[in-house]
Parts: sequence; structure tokens; C-alpha cells
Amino acid sequence: MDKELVQKPIAVGIAQDPVIGPGHDYTTVTDKISELVLTTKIHKEWVIGFLFSASLASLLGVAMYFLLFKGIGVWAPNVPVGWGFDIINFVWWIGIGHAGTLISAILLLLKQEWRTSINRFAEAMTLFAVACAGMYPLMHTGRPWLAYWMLPYPNTMGMWPQPRSPLLWDVFAVSTYATVSALFWFVGLIPDLATLRDKAKHTVSRYIFGALSMGWRGSADHWQRYEMAYLLLAGLSTPLVVSVHTIVSFDFAIGIIPGWHTTIFPPYFVAGAIFAGFAMVLTLAIPMRAFYKLEDFITMHHIENMCKVMLATGIIVVYGYFLEVFFGWYSANEYEKAVIMNRFTGPYAWSYWALIFCNGLAPQILWWKKYRRNLLLVWIISNIVSVGMWLERWVIIVVSLHRDFIPASWGYYTPTIFDEAFFAGTIGLFLTLMFLFVRLLPSIAMFEMKLLVPAAKARPESEGGH
Amino acid sequence: MSSHAATATQPNLDRVQQVGLGAFGAGLALCLFGLMSNPDQVMRSYLTGFLLTVGLPLGSLVLLMVHHLVGGQWGMVMRRILEASTRTLPLVAVMFIPVLLSLPVLYKWARPEVVATDKILQAKALYLNVPFFIGRTVFYFVVWGLFVYALNRLTTKQDAGDTDAKRRLNNISGPGIVVFALTVTFAVIDWAMSLDPHWFSTIFGVIFMVGQALSTLSLVVICLAILMEHAPMKGLVRPNHFHDIGNLMLAFTMLWAYTSFSQFLIIWSGNLPEEIPWFIHRLHGGWGVIAGMLIVFHWALPFILLLMRFNKRKAGMLSKIAILILVIRLIDLTWIVQPNFNPDHFSLHWLDLAAPMALIGLWLAFFARQLKARPLEPTEIDRLAASAGHH
Repeated sequence: MDKELVQKPIAVGIAQDPVIGPGHDYTTVTDKISELVLTTKIHKEWVIGFLFSASLASLLGVAMYFLLFKGIGVWAPNVPVGWGFDIINFVWWIGIGHAGTLISAILLLLKQEWRTSINRFAEAMTLFAVACAGMYPLMHTGRPWLAYWMLPYPNTMGMWPQPRSPLLWDVFAVSTYATVSALFWFVGLIPDLATLRDKAKHTVSRYIFGALSMGWRGSADHWQRYEMAYLLLAGLSTPLVVSVHTIVSFDFAIGIIPGWHTTIFPPYFVAGAIFAGFAMVLTLAIPMRAFYKLEDFITMHHIENMCKVMLATGIIVVYGYFLEVFFGWYSANEYEKAVIMNRFTGPYAWSYWALIFCNGLAPQILWWKKYRRNLLLVWIISNIVSVGMWLERWVIIVVSLHRDFIPASWGYYTPTIFDEAFFAGTIGLFLTLMFLFVRLLPSIAMFEMKLLVPAAKARPESEGGH
Repeated sequence: MSSHAATATQPNLDRVQQVGLGAFGAGLALCLFGLMSNPDQVMRSYLTGFLLTVGLPLGSLVLLMVHHLVGGQWGMVMRRILEASTRTLPLVAVMFIPVLLSLPVLYKWARPEVVATDKILQAKALYLNVPFFIGRTVFYFVVWGLFVYALNRLTTKQDAGDTDAKRRLNNISGPGIVVFALTVTFAVIDWAMSLDPHWFSTIFGVIFMVGQALSTLSLVVICLAILMEHAPMKGLVRPNHFHDIGNLMLAFTMLWAYTSFSQFLIIWSGNLPEEIPWFIHRLHGGWGVIAGMLIVFHWALPFILLLMRFNKRKAGMLSKIAILILVIRLIDLTWIVQPNFNPDHFSLHWLDLAAPMALIGLWLAFFARQLKARPLEPTEIDRLAASAGHH
């Protein structure tokens, strides 16, 4: 778009798009973003999308009904594939969540100002993805009302969870992550909620936003404490985001199943999570940006940068695949070799080669600027990556398990209709929450965007970083 | 565009050169003396020294490419230092020749009599054999050399006013990092992991790359602290720059701990006969004490020191931390290499200090010469980028 209007004080770098479109000031930013929430108009397209997602989400209810009343036998996992859709989708969802924290916390600490317009939205995505992820272990217990048994607390049963099990570490890691992400998101919302309170015309919405904004008046004291709290939460989130997927990778690597037990798993899982997360942010941001005409806020600069992060993390993931294959041979261990050969040529070979296409080959097109700026293509690649990251977990979990050490216990795993319904249901839940979010809360941080308008930039420079 | 001003005298660099040559002379004399009594030990200690030394130009190469790719103010003051460091690559390649000449001394897979009785080594012989090993090493150095040449040449062009150089540096660096990661991974599999040819760990290459970046950042901090006393760096290097580099050091210290601990936890809990011996050798007796030292001095202490803002903003303090890190890097590499030769008992030789001293000394002298050979002041373009990006 508006390339000719881009102002560059000194032609030092390679020309880049601005992080905010031209001609914006404090008022236009507030008006444009708050209008999406405060308007009484309901778009037809929004209603259709919402109803579609909500009906998918209701499928989750049906799937849960069968699961709880018939027992977890309605799911497919059985010997030798003891883990199936439940853990694949758990890891897939939790991975998607990681981009949100990376954008809001790590990019904040790295002083990357392009994060500003996408952070709120990505954080919401994190929360909803973690909620979907949490469904799986919770429901896999078969008796979710006894889920608190997973916590170590003194009880009359004399029962303690096994502290050596990474699954227990997951309980702590994921619940901490969910808590801190929710806090981070809510704290970030407070100044904007106050803006909405002040601008809202309906008494009811004034009361709701007023209660949520927790008495924010925007005084210098408020801002000073706010900035400190936000920075501390960012610092807390950064190790958390790494720890969650590291521990998820330990769920596999700590065991001794060939195909699971490999030391590269922690960094490779973290990179994969960010890869999948950015793909999901792009998948959601591109249509939203077009529908709500947010091109001035989510500019090509954002799209391109997200593509670059996706490309880089994708290459790290491929590095992991490559090392797995090389060490499968180099280990000179027949089981390690058998796992690799089984991936290449076994009954599930289709999934391995599809994975290589989705995560290895397809994203390579993003090396070229021309294609990074082609929104339709980027959107398609993002979807391919989401599929690829799902396949990755499928390959790791199902393909490693279905051929046990003893050929007599080999098997073939196929998900049941209940597995599939549950998965479709969580996608529905995720999309429903996203639809509600863009309608009910400001999906772009207004007060942070205001720091990017030219008037804010004109303030005197402050010396020193954080 | 004044590359003439760069020839401003740097008396400190002359001193670095002298100290380096002195260390080299002393270390060399000790090594020659060692050759008479214990030639095998000379080569074992030499390998540790080599692994530390090679990490400096390699770490510099990758940090340089990262800078060309993502920018950032830290690059402005670091770029010339990193470039000079990459230009020592030919020297480091020559340093590898003694290792190539004594492969059977160092590597079990290079001894036909060992391979003849070992089924696993026979299975790996397709990869672990002398000609292929030499071929691979030559290949790694050629590939790295091409990148070093291209990056340095484009900088010269940029100094001469070529405005297109920035774009080309950027274009080279993306694929460059990918090629770098792969070649370094295999280089450390060859040079370090294959010392214990039965053992394997997929994260090993990453741990080495992180270590190399950490040593390089420490080197840069010490260099900046030395260079900032005189023109053209005087007044140019500010606390903010040290702060940024200190933050990077903190990040890499954590990454080192993260990757090393992951490797340990996964192998320890798996407890498989083909993996666990590597840690059994390194966690018992004196080697276990060294492992404990690594936790304290490679992670806990630098982590705490680098967490504090005031430590990162002062050149003197940060260079002390940098020296600590360089010393602990040598100890870490010794801990990785030496137990292969003495798996059952702790054994440190005075040559473990002498050989690395000789290699690092020679490298320093060469590095100082490279620093003097080209302009020290930041390129015009980096300077502008830094002032434009300052907020």
C-alpha cells in the first residue's frame, strides 16, 4: 500500500514499511480501535463466523458427553499406541500458544516496536489455545472432577503424584503458564479498558468496563507502576514460555522409546512451538486485518517480520529432523535405525513425507520478499505449517509407538469418531473465543499504538535503556 | 568515509600482540618439552586448546551474520572486532594440522586394531574413517573461509562507499547462518563427539555453538574495554553498548545451562548403556568436582553477576566477568575432552594449561594484527543506523 508515503529520515537500511500507517494521531488510533468494540452494529459476516464456530464448539460438548458417560475407551489409544489424539492435540495447542508470549514478552524485552499492534491479539490467542490444550489432559483422566489429585497435597489416601514424571512437571508448568499469561494479558488491557469506560455510551458497558479497569485514572503514578509491573511480568513470562515446551518435550525425551529419547528435543520443541504459533497468528491476523480494515495498524512490516520468524524457527525444526535422521544412523543402534526407516517407508510414511513438505519445503518460499508480501500465499503457507506441526506430533507419537520392540505387539492406530469430534470441538472453542474477543475487547493495544504515532516520537529522547 | 583516521595508533594493541606472542613462546617451549616426555598428552591438551581457539573466529562469524541480518546497536561497536576475529580463520585452519597428523592418538576409530574388534565402530566406519574425516574438515574450513572472505570484502566495499553492500551482506547472512549451523554441528561431532565414538547426543552441536558465542562475546567485551581508551573508539563506546552485550552474555549463559542441563537430564533419566557412560566418566571422582564447578562458575555466578544492571554498564566489571567466562570455557572443554583419555580416574596435566596457552597466545597476536590492519571506527552506515534507531 502507501509505499510512497513512507518517510525515512536517513536512507540507512533496506527500505521497510512503517509499523503504523501514515496520518494517524492519538485520536484516530483510539477511535479506529475502540469503534470495533463500542459500535452497536453487528456485521453479518461476524454472526455467520461466530455461529459456525459455536456449533463446532458444541461438538466438543457432545464428544465430552460420550467420553464421560462411556469412559475413555471411546478414544482410540490402546496397546501399543497408548497416546494418540489426546497428547498430539495437547502439544499442538500448547505450541500455538507460545507465539503470543514470545510476541508480548520476549519482543518487548528486545525492544522490538513492531510487536505492538499484534501483541494483544496474540496474547488472547495464547490464552484460548492453552484453554483448548488443557481440555485434553483434563478429559483424559476420565474423571475431570478429580483433577486436583494431580496436585501434591497431604490427603487421607496417602497418595502423592510421582515427582519423577514429566507429566507432573507439565501440571505445574502449564498451570503457571496459563496463570501468568492471563495476568499479563489482563494487566495489558487495563489502560484500554479505562479508555473504553470513558468512551462507552451505554450505561451497562460503562459499568462493565469501569469495573474491569479497576479504577484506572491514568495518573503518572499509575503509569509508573503499570510500566514496572508490565516489565516484570514480561521478565517472568520469558523463562516460562521456554520451560513449558521444554517440559512438554521431556514428556517424550525422558522416556527411552526410540524416536522420543533424543537430547535435541527441548530446543527443537520450543522452536516448533514458536513456528506453529506464528503460523496461527498469521492465519488469524490476515483475515481480521482485511475484514476490519486494520491495514494501518497491522502493516506489511508486521506480516513480513512474522514470516521471517516463521522461516527461522521452521529451519531450526528442520535442523532437528535432519539430526534425528543422521543420528538414527550414527547411533549404530538397530532400534534407532528401525524407527527412522519406519518413518521413511513404514505404514505411516505418508505422514512423514507430508510433514517434510509442510514444515521443510513449503516455508522456504518465504526467503523471498516478493512472496512474503503476497498475503494470500502467506496465509496458505501458514495453514500448511499448522498442518505440518500437527503432523510432526503425529509422527513423533504414533509412528514411534505403533511398532513396539516385539513385532508380535505391533499395531496400527486410527482415531475414532470421538477423537475427531473432540479435536474439531476444540478448534470450534478456540474460534468462538477469538470471535468473542475481537467483538468485546480492543484487539489492538490502543495506548501502545499511540506511542508509535509521529506526535509521540517527537518527544525528547530519554537516555538509557531498561 | 575516512579510513585514514583508522590508522591512529593503538599502543594497547601492540601490547596485546606482545603478550600473545609471549604466551605462545612460553606455551610452545613447554609443549616441546612435553613432546619429549609425553607426546600423547601434548596432543590431547592441544585438542582442548584448539576447540577453544576455533570457537572465537566461528562465534565471531555467526554473530557477524546475525548482526547483518537483524541489526541492532550492539553491532556498531562490535563489527570491526568480529571481522578481525573471523580473518584469523586461516591461522586456525593451520592449527588443525597437528591434530590431523595424530588422529590415531586421539581418536579410537582411527586405530584399525580397535575397529577390528568393535562391531559398533565397524558400523560407523562409513562416516568415521580417516580420509573422510580429513575431507570433511577441509570442507568445513573452505565453506567458512568463503563466508569470511565475502563478508570482509563487502565491508571493504562499504567503506569505499558502495551503497549496495548492505543489501548483499544481508542476503549472504541468512543462508550463511543455516550453512554455519550445519557445518559447525558436524565439525563438533567429528572433532569432539567422536572422541568417544560409541556415544551420541543430538544437542551436542547446539551446546558447542552456544559456548562459542559466549566466548566470542567475552572476547569482544575485553577488546572494547582495551580499545575504548584511545581514538577512534574513545567516547564512542558507551555504557549502553556494554549493557547490550552484557545482556547477550546473560542470554547465552542461560542457553548454555539450558542445553547442557537438558542433555544431562535426558541421558541421566534414560540411563541407557550406550549413552550413560559419557556422564558416568564425567561425574565421578575429580571429574565430578569439575562438573560441580561448571554449575557454579559457568552458570550460577555469571548468571547472578550478569543479572545486575550495574555490572553490565561498567567496562571494568564486565571484562572481569568476561575473563571468568573465558577461563570456565577452557575448563568446560577440558571436562568434555580429557575424560575420554582417563575415564576411570581424574587426571589433569600441566600440559592442559600449556597447550591452550600457546594456541590462544598465537591467536591473540594474530588477531591484534588483524585489528590493526583495518579501520577500527564503525562503518558510516552502522553509525547512521545506530543514531537513527536510537530511542
